[in-house]
Amino acid sequence: MIGLCSNWINHNLCTGCGTCVKICPADVIRIDENTKRAIIKYSEDCFGCQLCKVHCPQGAIQMTPKRHMMYPPPLGWR
Amino acid sequence: MSTTKTVNCDVLVIGGGVAGCFAAVRARERGLNVVLVDKSYVGYSYATRFATLNFLVFNPNEDEGALNTCLKAVALRGEYINDPEWTEIVLRESWDRYQELASWGADFCRSENGSMFARDVPPFTTVRLGLKGVGPACRERAETIGVKILDRIMITDLLKSGGEVIGAIGFSLDTGDCYVFRAKATVLATGLCSFYMRNTGNGDALAYKAGATITSREFIFVWPWHDPNLDMSLAAARCVYMKFIDAEGLPVKHDPRSEIIDLSLEFLVHEGRAPIYWDLDSATPEDVERMKKRMLSHDGYMGFDPNRGGKIRMFGGAWMLLNSMGGAWLINKKCATEIPGLYAAGDCAGTRTVGAFHIVSGFGLASAAVTGARAGIGAAEYAAKADKPDIDEEELINLKEGIYAPLKRGKGFEPRWVLEIINSIMTPYYIYAVKHGDRLKAALTFIEFIKDHIVPRMYAKDLHELLLVHEIKNIVLNVEIFLRCSLFRTESRGTHYREDYPRRSDPEWLAWTKLRDDGGRMKLWREPIPKKWWPDLSTAYEERYPRRFPGE
Repeated sequence: MIGLCSNWINHNLCTGCGTCVKICPADVIRIDENTKRAIIKYSEDCFGCQLCKVHCPQGAIQMTPKRHMMYPPPLGWR
Repeated sequence: MSTTKTVNCDVLVIGGGVAGCFAAVRARERGLNVVLVDKSYVGYSYATRFATLNFLVFNPNEDEGALNTCLKAVALRGEYINDPEWTEIVLRESWDRYQELASWGADFCRSENGSMFARDVPPFTTVRLGLKGVGPACRERAETIGVKILDRIMITDLLKSGGEVIGAIGFSLDTGDCYVFRAKATVLATGLCSFYMRNTGNGDALAYKAGATITSREFIFVWPWHDPNLDMSLAAARCVYMKFIDAEGLPVKHDPRSEIIDLSLEFLVHEGRAPIYWDLDSATPEDVERMKKRMLSHDGYMGFDPNRGGKIRMFGGAWMLLNSMGGAWLINKKCATEIPGLYAAGDCAGTRTVGAFHIVSGFGLASAAVTGARAGIGAAEYAAKADKPDIDEEELINLKEGIYAPLKRGKGFEPRWVLEIINSIMTPYYIYAVKHGDRLKAALTFIEFIKDHIVPRMYAKDLHELLLVHEIKNIVLNVEIFLRCSLFRTESRGTHYREDYPRRSDPEWLAWTKLRDDGGRMKLWREPIPKKWWPDLSTAYEERYPRRFPGE
């Protein structure tokens, strides 16, 4: 799974409601057991669909087009 | 060992996108006990997420002449290997499914001229989708009428008894529990295969493993990237403004009727004319306005400004198996596969609605809604007559061991690395787009090795990685199907281009490829297309096929 984007969660706004954990199609978000806030646990598997951002009731999630990935993606050409 | 939960139902629907929700709703409307299961969250899964551009509709107030014009356009663009019966069904029923979705509260929005309908690619009419698309409304409808929804469960195998599909087995991403579904009828609605991300061709893989026939998986759909970042607002803008130039600044010729890119960029790259650029400098103020309006439905994305000018470099990017074309072979118009008790809908159903090329954006979603509704009815009718299924407990133990083995292994290969090597083999343009028998065989050699040697040794550190392992298993199977279908079709047609066979071969290849498991090997054969659907072979080749391939 190629991480296309990095997202981050503003922990001052996040209430730990779990909406993003539930709906993330890439299964990359979890609730941190200590802070009870959402964290991007598997950011390398995020494909940047922005569903978490669209549906976050607190507007706590931001995205950047900058990729977070372990390896650059294989491309058809470049 | 994790605990096992058994779920009994009349109809099990696997995959909670538009097709799956329609299937579940239809079966539930017939009073049956329906379970809808998804590896993600029903209504918000991967393909549904990106199905936010268009929904194709054919207004029934238009006359039969208009319908025939659409059918002819599909046959010409699909290069005569669409199934005109399915094409007609999707067109005719698209209006009712659209009305139904609207009544459920789906997010449809007005197009540039303020109308609900757009005619960007005549003669086809589409309805634009808003930011939330159709998924959430589908979920709500299914919940309202009493479909039992189970989210975040990955199905790994279908269960069979006496040649019949009697349910499925999988695991929960949250608890790790094993789920056994005992169903009188099962509908596959898992979407297509894009070889990475969440579209991993699970439906094709499940159907194939259960002994079903797969059809027409040599055709592809390409989605070049502007940069390796995926930004839907930019992609939406590109749909209405498609001017590209090559490295020397020469304009790229492509079909201006199409919103969807054909293989023209790959062909140029193969000629050595990369890099290719999206030429924003040539955009007129009207073009910019059109792009802005088109992007409205993608507000909330990363903020591409079509007014910025410049030349944006294009890379070879996403490619996937052509949807609304291949998938599990259907034996009737109620979406039954050859395996009793198994139905398929949406992108994993081999309806061959579009033929060798996807003519207009919105066909896939309409086709998912139409086939979903039909599969739901078919499965409900089957379930009403079927006996309570009997599950072989010994088979269950074996399957369960297979599901959890990567968690226990603790050593071997990391799933992400396996996906990287598969993509490194398959993603170069000279494999997936500009095909050649020698190169396809070379790729197949590697994929067979990966299947036999690497895949059985993948390990998972947690449940998230266990999901990756099972998805990658399915990807490998889909890759092999793609390569074998591509090798088998010794001609070029639509989005299947063979450098070593650059012409269409009529009437030999007025046929569909079919493939099935035969004692552990993939057996391929040809299903001839009925003569009544052939093009007029007395016309000149250039007239039958206006699109030219390099070297033909």
